[in-house]
Parts: sequence; C-alpha cells; structure tokens
Amino acid sequence: MPKVDEIQKAEKISSLQGELTQLIAAVRTESDEKKKRKMIVKIGEYNRRIDKLKSGRLLSRETKRDIVAYSFIAPNFIGFCVFTLIPIVFAFALAFLEWDGSNPIKWAGLDNFARLGNDIFFKAALKNTIIYCIGTVPLTMVASLALAIVLNQKVVGRGIFRTLSFFPYVASLVAITAVWKMLFHPSKGPINNILYTVFHVAQEDLPQWFSGGLVLLSMILFSVWKYMGYYMVIYLAGLQGISSELYEAASLDGANTWQKFRYITWPQLSSTTFFVVVMLTINCFKVYDIAIMLAGGGSGELTTSATVLVYYIYQKAFIDWDLGYSSAVAMVLFVMVLLVTIIQFRGQARKERA
Amino acid sequence: MKKKVLSILLTAAMAATLLAGCGGTEEAANAGTEAASDAQTATTQEAASEQGTETAPAEAAGEAVTLKWAIWDQETTAYWSDLKEAYEASHPNVTIEMVDLGSTDYMTVLATELSGTGTDFDLVTIKDVPGYATLVQKGSILALDDYIAADGIDLTQFAGTTDQVTVDGSLYELPFRNDFWVLFYNKDLFDAAGVDYPTNDMTFEEYDALARAVTDTTFGSQVYGAHYHTWRSAVQLFGVLDGEHTILDGEYSFFKPYYEMVLNQEADGVCRKYTDLKTEGLHYSAAFSGGDVAMMNQGSWFISTLITNLASGEYDADLCGNWGIVKYPHAEGVEPGSTLGTITGISITTASDNPDEAWEFVKWVSGEEGAAVMASSGNFPAIMTDEIRDAISGMEGFPTDEASKEALNVSNLYLEVPYAPNVSEINSLLDSYHGSIMTGEMTIDEGIAAMNDGVSQILAQ
Repeated sequence: MPKVDEIQKAEKISSLQGELTQLIAAVRTESDEKKKRKMIVKIGEYNRRIDKLKSGRLLSRETKRDIVAYSFIAPNFIGFCVFTLIPIVFAFALAFLEWDGSNPIKWAGLDNFARLGNDIFFKAALKNTIIYCIGTVPLTMVASLALAIVLNQKVVGRGIFRTLSFFPYVASLVAITAVWKMLFHPSKGPINNILYTVFHVAQEDLPQWFSGGLVLLSMILFSVWKYMGYYMVIYLAGLQGISSELYEAASLDGANTWQKFRYITWPQLSSTTFFVVVMLTINCFKVYDIAIMLAGGGSGELTTSATVLVYYIYQKAFIDWDLGYSSAVAMVLFVMVLLVTIIQFRGQARKERA
Repeated sequence: MKKKVLSILLTAAMAATLLAGCGGTEEAANAGTEAASDAQTATTQEAASEQGTETAPAEAAGEAVTLKWAIWDQETTAYWSDLKEAYEASHPNVTIEMVDLGSTDYMTVLATELSGTGTDFDLVTIKDVPGYATLVQKGSILALDDYIAADGIDLTQFAGTTDQVTVDGSLYELPFRNDFWVLFYNKDLFDAAGVDYPTNDMTFEEYDALARAVTDTTFGSQVYGAHYHTWRSAVQLFGVLDGEHTILDGEYSFFKPYYEMVLNQEADGVCRKYTDLKTEGLHYSAAFSGGDVAMMNQGSWFISTLITNLASGEYDADLCGNWGIVKYPHAEGVEPGSTLGTITGISITTASDNPDEAWEFVKWVSGEEGAAVMASSGNFPAIMTDEIRDAISGMEGFPTDEASKEALNVSNLYLEVPYAPNVSEINSLLDSYHGSIMTGEMTIDEGIAAMNDGVSQILAQ
C-alpha cells in the first residue's frame, strides 16, 4: 500500500514541478510589473507545496514558524482583544444605538448626535475642554523647555533643581490637589491672605479659585505645574543630543545667545517638540481627574463652568445609564483628538521635507 | 519532579482564574475562584440554588438557602449585622451573605453589578430614588405587587412614602428605614448668647431671625447661627415643604426665597460659605461637632451618629454635648412638622434563584420585627409606632427635653426625590445648577431659569 502512495506522491510532485517551470518561464517574459509580482508569490507557493509533499510532514516549515511567532504574540494580543479592541469597536457601534446596559439594544441612528446640539452641558464641557487644552499645551511646552534649558547649564545645585521640578509629576494627584486647595482656599488660604493684606484687595473681591471663570485658570496652572517636570526630562534628553560643535561654530561666527537658540537649539529640538506637543494634546483632552479633584468638592458634581468631556461621558454612562449618548460624546472627543493629531503629523512631515 | 508538578498546578490555577475572569457567568466565577479557598460555601450555595429552582418553596422543607445581600459600610453601621443575626436566629435554614459595596457611589456600583445577566445577588438595598429608578428601568429588580397582595401587607403603615416610589402602579422596593430632616441645635451656644432655644413651631422668618441673633462674627470666636451642608437638599428643598411643589415640576421659582435667605446669611457671616465648604470638603458632622455651629438642618441619621460618637469620646462633649433637636421650620400657613424624608428600601433582583425566600426576608426586614431591630440601635425604621418613638427618645444620650421628643412626630413627609422616569437626569441637573447658584457663578434668577430650561427639556423627551 505505501508504495502506491509513494507513486502518487511522485506523480503529484512532478506535475507541480512542471507547472512551476512553466510559471518561471512566464515570469521571465512578463513585462507588467504587477502581474510579475503576483507570479513570484505563486512560485513561492508552489515551492512550499512541493517541499511539503517531499518531506511528508503535516505542517510545512513556514507554517510552523508562523505558529511559533503567533504563539509569542498571543498572550498579549488576546488580552488586548478582549479588554481593549472589542470594547473600542463596540463603543463605536454604541454611538448609533440606544442601550442602558440591561434592556435590549435599540437602533438609534443619528439621534444621539442630533441631541448633542441642544445639550447645554455637552456644549459647556466641549468649550471647557478646548479652553483647557489651548491654555495648557503651549504653557506647559514653554515652561518645560525653559526649565530644561536652564537646568542643562552648569548651575549650582542642578541635580536638586531637576529633582524638585520633576517631583510634582511623581507625587499623587489626590495629595497635591489637597495641598493646592489649602493654598488657594477662598477665605483661609495663604494666597488670598497675601492678596488681602499686601495688595489690599477687598474681601468680597478676593478671587474664588475653584468656581466661576477662575476654575479653568486654576486647572491650567495646576496642570502646567504638575506635568512640566515630565516634559522637561524629555527636552533635557533632546538638548543633550545636540552636538556641542554646532554651538562652537556659532560662537566663532559671533552668534549671540538668542541666535544660538533660534538657529541651533530650536530646529534641532523639532522632533522632540513634536513628540511633546502630541502627547500633551492627547493628555489634555483626556483631562478628568484634575477637574473632579479641584472643582468637584465632596459630592463630585461639576457645574457648567468646570465640567469636561470625559466627566460628562462618565456621568451619562454610569449615572444616567445612557450608554449610546455617552458613546456619541466619546466619539466627538475621539474625532477631535484625531483631527488635531493628523494636523500635527502633517505639519511635522512638511517641516521635515523642507 | 516535585517542581514540575508544582508548576503545572500553578499554571492550572492561573488558567482557571483567567477563565473565571473572562467567563462572566456566575457559575464559572464560583467554580474558578471560590473552589480553592471556599469550597464548602460554594457547593452549598450551588446545591441550594439548584434545589431552589427545582422545588419552589424550599422553606417549607427547611432546606438550606443562602441569600446574597448588597449593603454599604458594614464596619461603621451596626444595623446590617443586627438584622442578619436576628433573621438567621429565627430562620435557621437561611444564611444571609452580605457584600459591602461602599457608601460613596453605592448606587452606581450596584447598577454596574446588576447590568447584563450575570449577577448572583438576591437582595439589594436601595439607597436613593434616582438609583431606584435606574434599576427599575433596567429591569434589574422585581415588582413586589403579587407578594404584597398575597401576604396582605398593609402599605398605609409606611405613611405614604411607598406611594412616592410607585412606578406605573407597581412597587419594586419596601422601605425598612425612613429618615427625616430635623433641626439640630447646640444649647450651649444659645445659652452663651442669651437667646431662647428654637421651638417646634417656627416660620422661616423666625428661624432666620434666630440664626442671626445667635451669630457672632468676632474674629477668633465666631459662632455660626446656621449651617447648610453642600447638598442640594439642605437648601433648595425647603421649597417643597408646602406640599404644593415637587422637584419634578419643571418650574422652580419657588426655590427663590430660600436661596435668597441662605445667600444673604452667607454674605452676613451667619453661615459658612458654600465655596469654602466645597474646597475643604468639610463634613456636616465635623462642622456641628466643632462647637461653633448653633443650628444645622440635617437628617435624623445624625442622631445616632451624635449619640455613639459622644459616648465613645470621639466628639468633645464640651463642644457639642449639649444638643437638642426641633422640627423643621415651616413656611407661613403650613402645618409644623412637615419635613423632608429619605427612605432606604430593600428589593429582590430579577436574577435571584430564590425569590420566595428573598421575599420572606424583605417582609421581615420591612415589617415590625425588623423595625424593632433598627430602633434598638437608634435608627428610624420605616414603620413608626409610638413604642418605637419612645424607644429611640428613651435611649441613653438622647436629649431629655420635651421639645426634642416632640420633634420626632412628623406630620407630612415629602421624599427628597420622588419617583419619575427621568429622575436620575433631573437630579444631576438640579445638583449641578445648585452648585452654580451657591458658588455665585449664576445669579439666583439665572440658575432657576437654567433649571427650568434643562428640566423641561428632559421632561419633553
């Protein structure tokens, strides 16, 4: 019996080999690049099939190699799929549905998006998030760059100052917001006390740092202070990557400090700046913890002057159980972040080409 | 060899927990996580649930049943364990298993737990009406009408509170605790100022004048005549006590006089500023026990807190030991003793395998036996009888004056939040604009206009 198999196998191999040689001949004469490439892929396939028949193994060497590779990816990828990828896809779908987590899902079409226009809290959250981003991104960037440049010089106590400016980033957000609230306490805080005793601001005019129009300013200041240390470290790494020969050459040409910064430091840091701006923007749109800790108070309800998109998404989803609508808000946030990032990538690409 | 066996076992255990985590169904979770540590309870529980579905009233046969009950703050609240122990003593076949979900965001956590199909809770405590509305709409809790009719439960003993949480003619919870708002006051501060104590029959004008009379704005020895916690209910809901308005009206100009009263008191230093309280996160109990607050409106739950904490020495008796309570102030022409209330209810989940046994527990807890257990620790049960009132006012540490005893008689009780389909959204919206008015982000008129717009939009949906 095995002999018959052997014979069959030999026949099969020879027929495949015949097709293969034909194909190789055809490739040589083919002039169309696209077709040629397709044929080459096919040749590979024939080779593999012949190999498989010859060796008589169930899995070819390539398949085995693939399985090993996939099995290395699998643990991470399965986790990613179950906990990240599927929920993300589902969130996209939810934006067009109506669901409260228990009752049957209903189709809502674009209703969820139509509701956004009349929603005062959504509009307030959108406005506050945008203002917060516009305030935070440039300020943090400038502050961290300035810090990095200063702390890149040989100043006394450089290590201590570097640690000090990185410290807020490491400290727990809950703890430092508690400290900020004490410092900026509307009637007992030292900041308002100084305003009252030194600058003679009337008691009823003392700023209410955590309500009204000032709450966004407080959030921006807090965020700049907390995160500038982190971006300073990134800028420091970038600064140390700039060759000192460039500065030497500039000195010989008589460039002053500003010119050195303008024509050497800034252009050399452009990819670092790009990274910093992208990360900052994404992180700013995600703001939630700072708002809830600074303006939320005991009960955590945010007023229209302090609410932000992520908080509103949480509120709509897990307090009102309007999952579809909350996904629609999330979609708006996603599109905004996507657009800003695309614009930044385009700008960077153009700069690099120039 | 030993090592190999061990590693195989470890891997198996890991795989099992992984499965349990992803599986989602209660069976898998039980098998995976509990099997190792808690094999006994798991098997009895499973056995019980199987028997429960096969032979309907397991109680008749006296078979063992475990009921899982969602609660909060087990450590600091005595009555959960009291109820469990008393019930288990009289029903030896039933085991009550309590799961503490924490009080801060209890209803949010609970709603998440009950979402979808996989829950093994049989009984859930209902902390507030917005959360109750959510669970009813999600179909997570059972309508109790058939049980109530079959056992002939007299709903009139709940003094009308159950009518305010009836959904389309059906009731999904029975209250077992009923708190109402009273006015706490610090007798020492009134004595020091030489001002008469508040009485059980005060109009808001008299209350305002009294608060101003006892106030001392001298720096360093401030006395605040009044204190309002940051909750919306502490200020806004003075307005619903006339029985003509509710927070579901969609038109809120009746809040205005009370916002004016409180904001004027703030401006004159009669009470602490809302923005300060928000920034500090000052708890009302800390404010009152600090000994500089003369009067504070708060729920009757604070009575047992005061009694226990004064007895344990956590609160300084020199600062707040000499306290009393009176009825809420009332608007001109309204019967004294009208006040706000909150009920704590208990419901059966639709996913429960033992609804009949769970109902027995609900009936017991909300009935007179449960009420007696509640009253024994100074809490107010939903069924208020004269004996229970006497039991509470006779407790060690309760103020001895007649007015304080009389203050426990409630004439009209209005729930802070009555049921409506959209009550959760209305509640969030009113909370948020309450903050806007109190922080001065909006004037009273702007805030009320915004509430009117927002709520009428929700009601129109």
